[in-house]
Amino acid sequence: MGNTAYTAPTFSGDTTTTAEAEAADVALAASGDGRAFERLYRAHVARVHSLVRRMINADVADDVTQDVFIRAWTKLSTFRGEAAFGTWLHRLAVNVILGRRTVLGTERARLTSSDVALEQVPGRDAPGRNELTIDFEAAIERLPDGARDVFVLHDIAGYKHEEIAMLLGIVPGTSKSQLHHARMALRRQLDR
Amino acid sequence: MTDHWADRLSEYVDGELRLQDAQALEAHLASCPTCKAVLVDLRRVSARARALDDTPPVADLWPGIARAIGVVAAAPARSGRRLTFSVPQLLAASITLIAVSGGAVWFTTHRGVPPTVIEHVPTAAVMGATASWTGAAPYAAAIAELDSALQEGRKAGRLDTATIGVLERNLTIIDSAIAQAQRAVLADPGSAYLNQHLAETMQRKLELLRGATSLAASRT
Repeated sequence: MGNTAYTAPTFSGDTTTTAEAEAADVALAASGDGRAFERLYRAHVARVHSLVRRMINADVADDVTQDVFIRAWTKLSTFRGEAAFGTWLHRLAVNVILGRRTVLGTERARLTSSDVALEQVPGRDAPGRNELTIDFEAAIERLPDGARDVFVLHDIAGYKHEEIAMLLGIVPGTSKSQLHHARMALRRQLDR
Repeated sequence: MTDHWADRLSEYVDGELRLQDAQALEAHLASCPTCKAVLVDLRRVSARARALDDTPPVADLWPGIARAIGVVAAAPARSGRRLTFSVPQLLAASITLIAVSGGAVWFTTHRGVPPTVIEHVPTAAVMGATASWTGAAPYAAAIAELDSALQEGRKAGRLDTATIGVLERNLTIIDSAIAQAQRAVLADPGSAYLNQHLAETMQRKLELLRGATSLAASRT
């Protein structure tokens, strides 16, 4: 019990009440309050689970999501309140996902050629494919890892290329290129 | 499509081209229906991605997480009468304490830390809703009784300095959390989440004090 590393967050006069309640829960959880941590879990599990599902797959999403929150519990004392808790948790989740994916051995060759990307994602005119609408999430899952990571982090999660580059260990130019490859592959799935 | 602007369309969609390049691309788009069509598609893909919802797992993962991090229920107090409070009682206690203190509420810490004072004027609706409840006194009495037992344990030397320090830090954190939660509820009294959060935080203070007094009593 006890948290010697806690740094009290500062609040502006117009800070949302929910944000303040969450900051209080972070402080309580950092001091060992399991119920406060459970509230944080319930507030953020959908976003984390969806991130895991999109960056790895649905089969291991539950397991990896648990890993994320277990890691978050052990790292709570390092949260300084400089960013929103959700932002901190999301970045932690990305690191857990990348580490887990390497262990799982599902890392595929990073995309280097736009032609390869276009061929790997079936177009709407592929044999037997008559749907007018597509399962967008399923199409994202079929992207090569490099393109998928950048697309999920940029277009879904809202990261900038500089942030993505730091998270993935690439340069921003590669991030931009991968994003373009992903979009070009997915555009073939759009209904008209 | 092999023109040199094709690979830069995504940057244009995201507003990342320099002004000069963007203007040159726009001039190209005016005479290239292929690139124009691709641009429309890229914007649709990006918009589709932004519109995706986050969905929780089908199964509740919390029990497994709780087991892994060792979260257990608080031990019952060994000494003294045990008062339990429902969520509505805790909320009404909080609001009534605000009302009877003339618009300000505080939780004294007895630990040399300045009390947290919140300046709020309860609305007539809030005060009216709690006027008939008398639970504020029992909650305050329970807190006072437990706090008194803790201080006795401290004076009698049954709790060492390090333990006292940890307890005081945690109570300071909880008092601050209660004050913040009260402010949030007063600003948005209809929020079920904020009301539940405040009630649980107040309950947490009770349980922390019970645990501390139990610890002190066990060392007689």
